[in-house]
Amino acid sequence: MNAPDRYERFVVPEGTKKVSYERDTKIINAASFTVEREDHTIGNILRMQLHRDDNVLFAGYKLPHPLKYKIIVRIHTTSQSSPMQAYNQAINDLDKELDHLKNAFEAELANRPGQY
Amino acid sequence: MESVSYQRFPKIKIREMKDDYLKFELRETDASMANALRRVMIAEVPTIAIDLVEIEVNSSVLNDEFIAHRLGLIPLTSERAMGMRFSRDCDACDGDGQCEYCSVEFHLRAKCITDQTLDVTSKDLYSSDHAVIPVDFSDPSDANDPFDHTETQRGIIIVKLRRGQELRLRAIARKGIGKDHAKWSPAATVTFMYEPEIHINEDLMETLTLEEKLSWIESSPTKVFDIDKVTQQVVVVDPEAYTYDDEVIKKAEAMGKRGLIDIRAKEDSFIFTVESTGAVKASQLVLNAIEILKQKLDAVRLSDDTVEADDQFGELGVHMRGG
Repeated sequence: MNAPDRYERFVVPEGTKKVSYERDTKIINAASFTVEREDHTIGNILRMQLHRDDNVLFAGYKLPHPLKYKIIVRIHTTSQSSPMQAYNQAINDLDKELDHLKNAFEAELANRPGQY
Repeated sequence: MESVSYQRFPKIKIREMKDDYLKFELRETDASMANALRRVMIAEVPTIAIDLVEIEVNSSVLNDEFIAHRLGLIPLTSERAMGMRFSRDCDACDGDGQCEYCSVEFHLRAKCITDQTLDVTSKDLYSSDHAVIPVDFSDPSDANDPFDHTETQRGIIIVKLRRGQELRLRAIARKGIGKDHAKWSPAATVTFMYEPEIHINEDLMETLTLEEKLSWIESSPTKVFDIDKVTQQVVVVDPEAYTYDDEVIKKAEAMGKRGLIDIRAKEDSFIFTVESTGAVKASQLVLNAIEILKQKLDAVRLSDDTVEADDQFGELGVHMRGG
């Protein structure tokens, strides 16, 4: 009866930004990114990729509530970098990793005669 | 500004491939990537499934919504799904018409006129699009006899009709994802496990008698170890059968042979098993998952106005901090 629509889980409501950025008020080079309509799929790969960055002092994400369809990614970096730079680089690196994965998978498929 | 890259270069090796089954190794990446791929395959790779049903006549024993639900669960061939639009963001239609970009129409007409019970199956569904049809599970090797009406030949049973009963309906299939409803999930199962690394301490093993060795081998619930008939040595026959149950380790300790065996999970190697519902090929499912994950990552990039807003705020921030 009053159940929320199922699409609310993955459709960003109008007038809401997919990613919003909020600088920490007390710590320099620390910030929180609120990502709407995302979950552990994105949160965890981003966090692990950020951990590979030497300039990142802290990276974590949380899903504040199972019925609030957003995640909060918190990043603290050294003065050599900035949360925004680290965030962008993590996404770029993951993107390139997936490109590589796609090519590697297609190459494997091409190696199998009789298929494709 | 861009400095060093922290990109990884994962390796893939396909072990076994069928249309609806795939087993492959994924190496040199971490569990977060393996799990993201698994999650995307289950819940975010789109397929096509019946979403709207208009029943004209239904005098069967099942009620209308029961039949509508069963129709929704029938897997439809969805190679087209990646290129289709979600009906909610289709500009060309109001979302429930016969729009070629976002929906496929089906018709079903069945009436039983004999004393023989009539099975209404997925084969009775007529599609408006030859590329989107109910998945055919019949085994080609059984298809030699055209008059052979065995279970595998007839598709998925929707309802059974007795004399005089009739079912007539129109259904609209749409693109969707498993997150919305499980009927849109292209995956039957997707699992991954860490590759185990098993080392037997041969010196310690040689202190065991043959009976002890056999009873130790028997302590594993899955057949991981065996005894070499010639040398009477314990050998690993199938490391991947190991379920990380620790039984052999406990057994070794109980026998007073701590350190007899060392089993480690290689944290950057995964063995994936992908089973498809038939909506897309298992290999295509993996490729689609990679593509979807890329799209998701692209969507979470910072927008330019966010960056600009911060630049202004940044200068202000420096002032506030008394720079």
